[in-house]
Amino acid sequence: MTAPTLKIENLKLGFKLWSGMIEVLHGISLHIGKGERVALVGESGSGKSVTARIVLGMLQEMSSARISGGLTFEGIDLDKLKPRDRHHLRGTRMSMIFQDPTSSLNPVYPIFTQFREVLARANPAISDAEARMKAITALADVSINEPERVLDSYAFQLSGGMNQRVMIAMALANNPSLLLADEPGTALDVTVQAQTLKLMSDLVEQHGTSVLFISHNLGVVREFADRVYVIYKGRIVEQGLTKQLFSNPQHPYTRALLAAVPRITGGGIPDIAEDTAGFHDPLIAHPGASEKELLS
Amino acid sequence: MKKTLLILTRNPLSLLGLILVTIIVLAAIFADFITPFPEHVGAVVDFTNFNQPPHWPNIFGTDLVGRDLFTRVVYAYRVSLILAAVVLIIAVPIGVSIGLTAGYLGGWTEYGLMRITDIFLSIPPLVLAMSIMGLLEPTLTNGMIAVTAMWWPWYTRLVYSITRSEREEGYLLAAEVIGASKLHIMFREILPNCVPSIVTKMTLDFGFVILIASSLSFLGLGVQPPTPDLGSMVADGAKYLPDSWWLTVFPGLAILFAVFGFNLIGDALREILGGDQ
Amino acid sequence: MPAIVRILARRLATSLVVLIGVSILIFAIARIIPGDPARIALGPNATADAVAVLRDKLHLNDSIIAQYGYFIADLFHGDLGISLYTNRAVTRDIADFLPATLELVFVSGLMMVMLGIPLGVLSARYRGTWIDHTIRLVTLLGVSAPGFVWAVILMLVFAYFVPIFPVAGRLSDGSGFQPITGFLLFDTLISGNIRAFGDALWHLILPAFALALSGIGQAARLVRSNMVETYNKPYIEMVEAYGFSARRIANRYAFRPSLIPSLTIIGLDFAAMLGNAFLVESVYAWPGLSKYGVAVILRKDLNAIVGTVLIISAMFLIVNIIVDLLVSVVNPRIRLSERPA
Repeated sequence: MTAPTLKIENLKLGFKLWSGMIEVLHGISLHIGKGERVALVGESGSGKSVTARIVLGMLQEMSSARISGGLTFEGIDLDKLKPRDRHHLRGTRMSMIFQDPTSSLNPVYPIFTQFREVLARANPAISDAEARMKAITALADVSINEPERVLDSYAFQLSGGMNQRVMIAMALANNPSLLLADEPGTALDVTVQAQTLKLMSDLVEQHGTSVLFISHNLGVVREFADRVYVIYKGRIVEQGLTKQLFSNPQHPYTRALLAAVPRITGGGIPDIAEDTAGFHDPLIAHPGASEKELLS
Repeated sequence: MKKTLLILTRNPLSLLGLILVTIIVLAAIFADFITPFPEHVGAVVDFTNFNQPPHWPNIFGTDLVGRDLFTRVVYAYRVSLILAAVVLIIAVPIGVSIGLTAGYLGGWTEYGLMRITDIFLSIPPLVLAMSIMGLLEPTLTNGMIAVTAMWWPWYTRLVYSITRSEREEGYLLAAEVIGASKLHIMFREILPNCVPSIVTKMTLDFGFVILIASSLSFLGLGVQPPTPDLGSMVADGAKYLPDSWWLTVFPGLAILFAVFGFNLIGDALREILGGDQ
Repeated sequence: MPAIVRILARRLATSLVVLIGVSILIFAIARIIPGDPARIALGPNATADAVAVLRDKLHLNDSIIAQYGYFIADLFHGDLGISLYTNRAVTRDIADFLPATLELVFVSGLMMVMLGIPLGVLSARYRGTWIDHTIRLVTLLGVSAPGFVWAVILMLVFAYFVPIFPVAGRLSDGSGFQPITGFLLFDTLISGNIRAFGDALWHLILPAFALALSGIGQAARLVRSNMVETYNKPYIEMVEAYGFSARRIANRYAFRPSLIPSLTIIGLDFAAMLGNAFLVESVYAWPGLSKYGVAVILRKDLNAIVGTVLIISAMFLIVNIIVDLLVSVVNPRIRLSERPA
C-alpha cells in the first residue's frame, strides 16, 4: 500500500497566553489516502480550521503556538524537513481554498498578478506569456467563459461565484496532491455554492487530488466526502465511511449534529445544545474505518 | 476602568508612560514644595549665580539672570498642564457636538458643518494658531483660545466618521422606531460608541497640546515672561548655543518627556479600547 | 470622462470653496481684533491726519463686507496689498521668502516618505518582535517633540559636538552663488554648479531632518497600524497559505492595500510641515517665510498676515489634491468606478 497523502498522528495544539496555556487540539489523528476526499466536520471553534493551518505550517510561525504530534505528507515527516523545504510545499504540493473567495483575493491587484505569482511558486522562471496561457487554460477548466477579461479584472468587479471559480483554478493550477478546502464557498449563495462545489469535486477527481474538506455543513459533506471525521472541542469523536456515519451515527455528538441539520441542504450552522453529557464520550470508529485498520 | 489601568501597568512601555505622566503631574501640583527656589518663578535676578551649568543645588543650571532652571521647568509644567486641560475641556465638547450633529442629521447641515470644519483643517494647525495668537494679545488665555480654535475640528472629524458608520446600525433604527428624540439618539445612543476613541485621542492630545503651545511660545506668540514656559525657555536659550547648552536642552527634554509619556499611554489605550483613526 | 479627471475637477471645486472660506475666516479674524490697524501700522507718533489718510486708503471706513469685496477684487489681480512692515507688495515678499521654505518642506517630505514608510513596513512585517518594538519606540520619540527641540538637539550634536554639518544658513559664506528661482538645489543644478549644489544640500540636511522627524514618526506609525490591520485580512492568509515569501507579502500584498488609508494622513502631515517649518527655520536662521511670518504677526501687519495664511493654505490644498489623485491611482476601486465614489 502506498503512503497516504496526509497522515496526522496525535496532533496537539496549545496557545501560550498571559493567563497560561490553553489547549485547542487534544491529540487528533486522521489520514487522507491518495485521491481520497475526507471531511472534517464540526462546529466553529472545534479546531478544524487550525488543523488545516498546521498542515500548511502556518500556525508554527506564531510564537505563542505550541504544537506536538506527527505530520506525514506523502511518506515524508514534515517536522524533519528544513523550514525552507517545508515552506516550498505550500502552493505547490498543497494548496488551500477559503471561505469567502471575494475577500480572499487582493483588492488592489488584478487577478492575473496573483495568478501569475501562484504559478511562479512551482516554476519561478515562468514568463508572463506562459503564465497567461496557463492561467487562461486553468480558468477555462473551471468553466469561465471569458478568461482574458477575468484575468484583467479585480476581485471586486467579479461575482462571488466567479471569484470562487478563480480560487479553485488557482488552487489546482500547480497540480497539488493535497487540497485543503476550509468551508469553501460558505459565504456564497446556496445555489452558487453547490455549483462551485460540484465543479471542484469533478476537477479533483480528474486530477486525482486528495482533499481535506473542512465543513460544518453535513448536507454538503454527505454529497462530497468519501470518509468523515467528526471533531468536537479538539477531539475526534467519530469516524467512518460517509455512508456508515450518516446511516448509523453512533456518538451522541454526531447524533445531535445530524438531528440539527435542516432538511434542506445548505442550511446555516446547526444549533446544538451546549456540552451535553455524552458529547465527551471517547472516539467511536465505524467497522473497518479506524485509523489502525485503514493504515495497516 | 480599573481593568484598563491594570493592563496599562502590565506592559512595560505603558507603565513607563504612566510613571512619566505621574511624576510630571505630581511635580506640577506640588511645585511649591519640591522646587528649591519657588521664588524664581517671577522676575527675580541673581547676578552672583547666572548662566551656570548644572551644579548643586541648581541641578539644571541657572538662566541668564540667575534663576534656577529646574524650578522654572517644573512651574512651566504646571502652566502647560493647565493649558492643555482647559483647551481639551473646551475643544472636545464643541468638536464632538458638531461631529455628532453633522454625522447624524446629514443633508445640508452635514454639508455646511463639514465644510466649515474643512476650512479650519485646511490651514496648517500651527499657522492658524499663530495668526489668531498674533492678532490677539499674547497671554495665557488667548493662547488657550488660539489652540482651542485649531483643535476642535479634529474631534469633529473623528466623531463624524464614527457617527456616519453607526447611522445605518440596527439599534439606531430601533431607537427611531420607538420615537426617541434626535438629541437622545445622538448623545445617549451614538456618543457612547465614540467614547473609547475620544478618550484615546484626548490622552494623545494632552501631549500634543503641550507640544503646540510650546511651539507658539517658542515663536514668541505664547505666554509672556516672567511666567515660565518651556517653549520660550528654549527660544531664549537657543541664542546661547552651544556654550550654554543647559538653557535649551533641559526645557527641550522636558517637553519631549511630557509628550512622550502621554503618547505611551495613548498608544496603549488605543490597543485596549480601539483606534482613534 | 476618466475617473481621474472627474476626481480632479471635483477636488478643485471643493478646494476653491474651502479657500474662499479660509479667506473669509482669516479676513474676519484680522478685522475683528481690537485696535485701529492704521494706527498700529503708523505707530503712536503719527499724526491723526496721516492715520485718516491711511484708513481711507485701506478702505477701513467702509463696511466689513465692502472691505472684503475690495480684498477679493484685488486678489483676482494678484494683489494682496502692501505689507506695512516691509512697505513692499505682500506678493513680492512672499515670492522672496517662500522658495526657501518650500525647498525645506519638500526635502523633509521626501525624508518622511522615504524613511517613514519603510520603517512602518518593517515594523508591521516583524510585528511583535524586538525590531517592531525598537521602531515603535524610536518613532514615538520622533513625534513626541516639536521641530524646534529636534532642531536644537541635532544642531548641538551634529553641528557643534561632532561638527559634520553647518550651523546655519543655506549656503556657506563666500560661496558667491546667485540664486535664480530661489530653489537653491534646482538653481545650482541648472547652472551646473555642482560645488554649490553640494553646499546647498549640506546646509539643508540638518534642518530638513529636524523638520522631518515627527513626520517620519507619524508616517511609520500610521503605515504600521494600517498594515497590521491588513495582515488580518483573508487575502493575506491566502497568500501565506500559497507560500508567497514573507518579504513579498509585506512589500506588495499587505503594503499596497494599507497604503490607501495611510496616504491621506501622510498628505496632511506633509502639509502640516508648512507650519512646522516656522519652528525649524528660526533655529537654523533659514531665510524662509518663518521670520517674515512671525515678524508680520507680531506687528499686526494685516495684509501680510492674510496673504501669508492664504498662500500657505493654498499650498496645503494643492498637496491634498495631489494626495487624492495618488490615492485614486493606488486604489483601483476609485480608478475604475464609473460613478462618483
